[in-house]
Amino acid sequence: MKTILAFRESEYAWVHEKFPCVHPLLLPLCNKPFIEFLIDFAILAGSSAVRILCDGGLGEVERYCEDGSRWGIDLSYASIHPDDSIHAMLGKNRKFCGEERVMIVSGFSFIRYDKRYDYKSFVSSMPPGEWSTCPGGRITLTGVPTKAVPDWLIADLSLMPLDSMTSYYQASMETLKTGESRYVLPGYGDEPECAFGRNVVISKSVEIRKPVSIGNNVQLLGNAIIGPSAIIGSNVIIDRESSVESSIVFDNTYIGEHLEIIGRIASGNRLNDPKSGASIAMEDPHLLSGIKKNRHLRSLPRKIVHACVALVIIAAFFIPFIILWPLLKLGGHWKSSPASFLAERTDETMPLAKVEVDASGAAAAIAVALSLDRYFRLFRVVTGQLALIGSTPLLAGESRPDAPAYVPAYLPGVFSYAEAEEWAATGGDATIVERFHLAHSNPLTDIGLVIKAFINRFQEKSTI
Amino acid sequence: MTITETSKIGIAILSLYGTLDALSAPELRNNRSIIDPEKTVVIDLQQVDFIDSSGIGAIVSASRQKRQPSGGIVLACMNDRVRKVFEITNAQKLFHIFDDTTAAVDFASSRQSASA
Repeated sequence: MKTILAFRESEYAWVHEKFPCVHPLLLPLCNKPFIEFLIDFAILAGSSAVRILCDGGLGEVERYCEDGSRWGIDLSYASIHPDDSIHAMLGKNRKFCGEERVMIVSGFSFIRYDKRYDYKSFVSSMPPGEWSTCPGGRITLTGVPTKAVPDWLIADLSLMPLDSMTSYYQASMETLKTGESRYVLPGYGDEPECAFGRNVVISKSVEIRKPVSIGNNVQLLGNAIIGPSAIIGSNVIIDRESSVESSIVFDNTYIGEHLEIIGRIASGNRLNDPKSGASIAMEDPHLLSGIKKNRHLRSLPRKIVHACVALVIIAAFFIPFIILWPLLKLGGHWKSSPASFLAERTDETMPLAKVEVDASGAAAAIAVALSLDRYFRLFRVVTGQLALIGSTPLLAGESRPDAPAYVPAYLPGVFSYAEAEEWAATGGDATIVERFHLAHSNPLTDIGLVIKAFINRFQEKSTI
Repeated sequence: MTITETSKIGIAILSLYGTLDALSAPELRNNRSIIDPEKTVVIDLQQVDFIDSSGIGAIVSASRQKRQPSGGIVLACMNDRVRKVFEITNAQKLFHIFDDTTAAVDFASSRQSASA
């Protein structure tokens, strides 16, 4: 038998909004990624191969799950169209499905199964059609049954939609309570309802109240109270005299001293209330903060190269700029207005001037052809706020699907990668080119692309 | 890059071999079946070992030339290397992608006869 797990971005859009640091399919439930529960279920149902279908990106999921050899199955990935029906999905994966029986789990919903049941026999004896449904999710079987249903066979199963933070919280707490008896959960521990990961440092005065699940590399400092019903992720520090009860603490989170986290979800510097869906960002890093690797250190070579090249361009165009700018400004051909653009970091904005040059005169045409309208932005490259070449800066305040929280990479630049390419740099096409280069370029190729963008702008403006 | 063109129930199947980049993209762009706005084309990407933004650009602009932008170009047998590039650029949302050429041809044929 084979299994298809199908998801649509629209079903898990709320996860992007509430927990932007994690891919929705890797959202942890009791310290185990959501997708692993589905893979476990597919294996219990007798699947030898699983294919994950999605209309969004699967890069992070693929890096985590790889080819499925960890579970002893063949795991593959494919894309679907947002409006594909189950019939269309089967057609698009005809080669994968072959002549075998296929179980299709569609929708972003949690399967309440019990590992003690014999799902393999049950699935092979069930007639084709819908097995279980919930709002936004369903399990469907295709193909003819290979066995007759034995009377004694019971395989309890239900679906729970994960459509909000409330349902996610409920599913997590339910998984923690039912624990090892129903699911395969990570962690070690001699006592039931108490699972610990590797390298957990617990001070002597810490009090642990069951049920709890604690991830890897966790530090619980003096007099902290953990539980009951606490799920602590990996790389977490709970500081002195703090208590975590009926709460979920995501990976890489620091909980400061003397804090009470009751019935909340803490993720980085965000504290969420699962009942109301409200969330607040803690500005004080001593209360709640994210622990993450230094991204700035990784992007340092690119920033240095960009800053050096920007300095060269500033020096080279200083004389034309100092002559043409006052002329155009006085003649009313140079119009500049302040605007707020999205910065590289999620949730941050930066002020930038929007410059419009009326290229009717000769001086204005030269200024535009030499890209002098971007001259002031070059100084932002030297200060590290902008890249020399990157994404087209997005205006803040607009709700857009390509906003930084939704895309794998966004790096606002003076020039955009789309300008370096010859094909139409408009809308979706421009975004495609920018994402490609953000994933594949390096500081040296960036220099070549800056020259290309400059030449393209020069040719475009000089022909106008 | 080499392009092999075959036809099945009135649907052109272009099998691409090798590298689809800035150098080879014009060859695909200028293909007769691609240029024809009425013709539904299945592009088999199984043997493409490298694709860059120009390659994706050629496929996207090919679909824009068709009378039915979402169904005029159907992609088939996308290997992992190509799929990852489509995913990074979010271009997978623009196309119907099949893991089997026959299924892609069936789909393209049904689309063509529905629009006729």
